[in-house]
Amino acid sequence: MESLVVDLSQYLPILIFLVIALALSAAFVFLPMGVARLTGTHKPDAEKLSEYECGFPAFEDPRSQFDVRFYLVAILFIVFDLEAAFLFPWAVSLDMTGWPGWITMMVFLFELAIGLAYAWKKGALEWE
Amino acid sequence: MIQTLAFYIFASLVIASAVMVIMSRNPVHSVLWLIVAFFNAAGLMVLVGAEFIAMLLVIVYVGAVAVLFLFVVMMLDIDFAELRAGFVKNFPLGLAIALVLLAEMVMGLGAYKAGGMQLGTPDGTAAAAVGASNIKAIGALLYSKYLFLFESAGIILLVAMIGAIVLTHRQRGDTRGQVISRQVARRPEEATVNTQPEVGKGVQL
Repeated sequence: MESLVVDLSQYLPILIFLVIALALSAAFVFLPMGVARLTGTHKPDAEKLSEYECGFPAFEDPRSQFDVRFYLVAILFIVFDLEAAFLFPWAVSLDMTGWPGWITMMVFLFELAIGLAYAWKKGALEWE
Repeated sequence: MIQTLAFYIFASLVIASAVMVIMSRNPVHSVLWLIVAFFNAAGLMVLVGAEFIAMLLVIVYVGAVAVLFLFVVMMLDIDFAELRAGFVKNFPLGLAIALVLLAEMVMGLGAYKAGGMQLGTPDGTAAAAVGASNIKAIGALLYSKYLFLFESAGIILLVAMIGAIVLTHRQRGDTRGQVISRQVARRPEEATVNTQPEVGKGVQL
């Protein structure tokens, strides 16, 4: 662990944000519980503890089957997410890779543009 | 000191949540434990200096791949009792696959220790940084030396996209889809009519 190249102290702000977020969300969860117990309004019964679904009783398992179209949207999202992820190191290292790097990325973008055109033409982006 | 401590915390959390992925009975809980494992692996990546990989783990794996896994788990209509009943029967097959994976890991590690690959030095220290930062070093290598690998990654993404569309997309005839050109072409004068009906008479539409 001696050969660290990262200066981990740069991550201190992220750590502070994490701690604040954790503390705030814990407060939102546990403060009402504590207040309810201290003020004496904490009187659970079977009706209060049952699930509430817009006024009528919950009658089926929440695990219902999805339409496969959601999966298609998720796959397309992942593909373009990765494309964007590849753009970041390309953008910052362009001064070192030069024209070959630029042309490479244009070819890559063209490949995915073909995919986008195909998806568009097939109507995969439409929600009927 | 603090890095060693952080390493052991992250590493043990990765292993613990990976165990929970295969031990939990509900597959949705498995996916959630997998997200915990991804986050801790990202922490490990930050510790070894691969910051870009760490961010990719959080953005791509937690943000997209885990959601996809959730979709797949939700889409499959699995009977869990039936699934567990086949455990003893499929156990030799699972063991064989695990052994193959172990052999691959041992071979890969051996090849790496032999120094055949130019990824880094066998004693675990990072290769000499090409750029100032981690992301710049990755970019400088990926878009010059490993250019063809990058382009084939693009081809793989294209194939994945087209494959997903071919497999899952089908036209539904019974739905009333949105025709954008008709919406745009509609004008107020043809959409609304002013009438002055007399008292006691209706409106002819």
